[in-house]
Amino acid sequence: MTGARGPLLAALAVVVAALAVYPAFGTGYGVRSMLQIFMWIALAGSWNLISGLTGYVSFGHVAFFGIGAYAGAILVTSAGWSWPVAALAGGLAAVLLALLIGYPCLRLKGPYFAIAMLGLNEVLRALVSYFEGLTGGGNGLSLPTLDATRSIYYVMGLLAAAVTAATWLIVTSRFGLRLMTIREDEIAAEAMGIDTFQHKLAAFLLSALGPGIAGALTARDQGYIEPISVFPLAVTVTMIVMVLFGGKGTVWGPVVGAVVLFVAQELVWAHYPYVHPLLFGAIIIGVVLLMPRGVLGLLQLKYRLPRTI
Amino acid sequence: MTVPLTPEMVGQVLISGVLSGALYAMVALGLALIYGVMRVINIAHGPLLMLGAYVTYFLYSRAGLNPFLSVPVAMAALFVVGLVLQRTLVFRVVDAPELSSLLLTFGISIALVNLAQNAFTSDLRSVEYITGSWLIGGLALSKPRFIAFLFATAVTGLAFLFLKKTRLGKAIRATSQSREVALVCGIDVRRIHLLTFGIASALAAGGGALLAVIVAIQPEMGGVWTFKSFLVIVLGGAGNYPGALLGGLLLGLVEQLASLFLTTQLSEVVAYVLLVVVLLIRPTGLLGGRQT
Repeated sequence: MTGARGPLLAALAVVVAALAVYPAFGTGYGVRSMLQIFMWIALAGSWNLISGLTGYVSFGHVAFFGIGAYAGAILVTSAGWSWPVAALAGGLAAVLLALLIGYPCLRLKGPYFAIAMLGLNEVLRALVSYFEGLTGGGNGLSLPTLDATRSIYYVMGLLAAAVTAATWLIVTSRFGLRLMTIREDEIAAEAMGIDTFQHKLAAFLLSALGPGIAGALTARDQGYIEPISVFPLAVTVTMIVMVLFGGKGTVWGPVVGAVVLFVAQELVWAHYPYVHPLLFGAIIIGVVLLMPRGVLGLLQLKYRLPRTI
Repeated sequence: MTVPLTPEMVGQVLISGVLSGALYAMVALGLALIYGVMRVINIAHGPLLMLGAYVTYFLYSRAGLNPFLSVPVAMAALFVVGLVLQRTLVFRVVDAPELSSLLLTFGISIALVNLAQNAFTSDLRSVEYITGSWLIGGLALSKPRFIAFLFATAVTGLAFLFLKKTRLGKAIRATSQSREVALVCGIDVRRIHLLTFGIASALAAGGGALLAVIVAIQPEMGGVWTFKSFLVIVLGGAGNYPGALLGGLLLGLVEQLASLFLTTQLSEVVAYVLLVVVLLIRPTGLLGGRQT
């Protein structure tokens, strides 16, 4: 496939250049939509790092988004940090939380991790509501007004690119091969001398970083957060649906899934909000049963594309 | 929390803990059966419980049926739903990697909750059948919770009798010990899987039907039950069915004890910390289960 590499890279450069100049003449709605697509690429790509590559399903990835949002917002309002630094701190907070959960749960094989992540979201929501003094409780937290949508557009774009690039680096590295070995057969991986716990934990910590930063950026952009707005189960569901649809364990699957499903959501499903979760549930069931490798997986099979796309 | 502890308070906590523990045990036994027999964690277990609660609600509000009499009806109805789910969807992922079964049942769970939201709306519903408490020597015994406790104990006891004594029950336990050997012994493993999913759904539905007289009913009430049922399994030891009883009682007691010192707002946090601590120090469960 080396022959196709030049044109592909050129096309990628054109897309990046177009996205870079877009805020100069895009409408406010357009810029905001692109910002959302970037966010979903970063979120879906991050979920893919742990669940797509190692096969350990995270049902609570929105927890990292939420804790990043709260950490970032609190640092901006109470400590007066500037938002880019607060965003990094949001990412760090998410990684620390991942360490706290990952250490006990990833040492074990089996569904322990999945269930622990399933409960995590509710727990964080309860804690945020309980520590009212710090978080504003159910009243939420307002950030000082600041119109930084364009700057956040670029930072979120960089984040999406960074998550995708990191996925590519991992998938093409020995580290990535070891993760995928764990996914295919963890006992065999251990027998080959892979420290599966360390590898799973590393992938998990990395997968928490992006959502943490994205959460802090979103909090800054929207200027107001509350427990319901940053810990919705729907965000986890959307991440999962995007990755499954695009192709789990691939580099571009989350990107394809995020773009296609976001556009479909804006154009079509926004008119049917009541059956939205039903549709997502059906997509999950359908993909698991009918095309477990997603769209990219199908393309890989059909056109003999390399594994590393 | 500066209220001094009195013997009455401790007694009250023990009573409440045992009462809710029996319900936990009953619901968790269903999840434990599916996990033991098929190695599938059914994320949709909680939503099935929610459907059971709605069966009771509608039979009570539309037909005036005594909510405790509707327990077997709800169980039978959800037994059928369980059979259909297993026969159409879940059987396809029994031998697939864990990721597939987790995601598939997660998809079913989202779909069921959304269906309930559309069909029944998200309004809070309640079955006000019996309220109030009996007072016994300074201790309060909540009437609906106590009757629910009796029913849960009876159903769980029958389920154990079934597993222990009947041929089908023995076949289920055999399949859970070793599918291959069960197959060689002439057990129709697919049929056992089907039956197990049905029984597990019925146990969840029974829990939901009993909960209907205790708590408010709404489409999202089930989610936390999937998590708590799993916690009960972890406490008792995965693959250890009597362990589910102990785990259920333990979770009920710990939650009630914690409510002495913390606000009830944090009861889910307590359950969560319990899960993490047990996974950290004794991942095979307190009674010791089968290693996976």
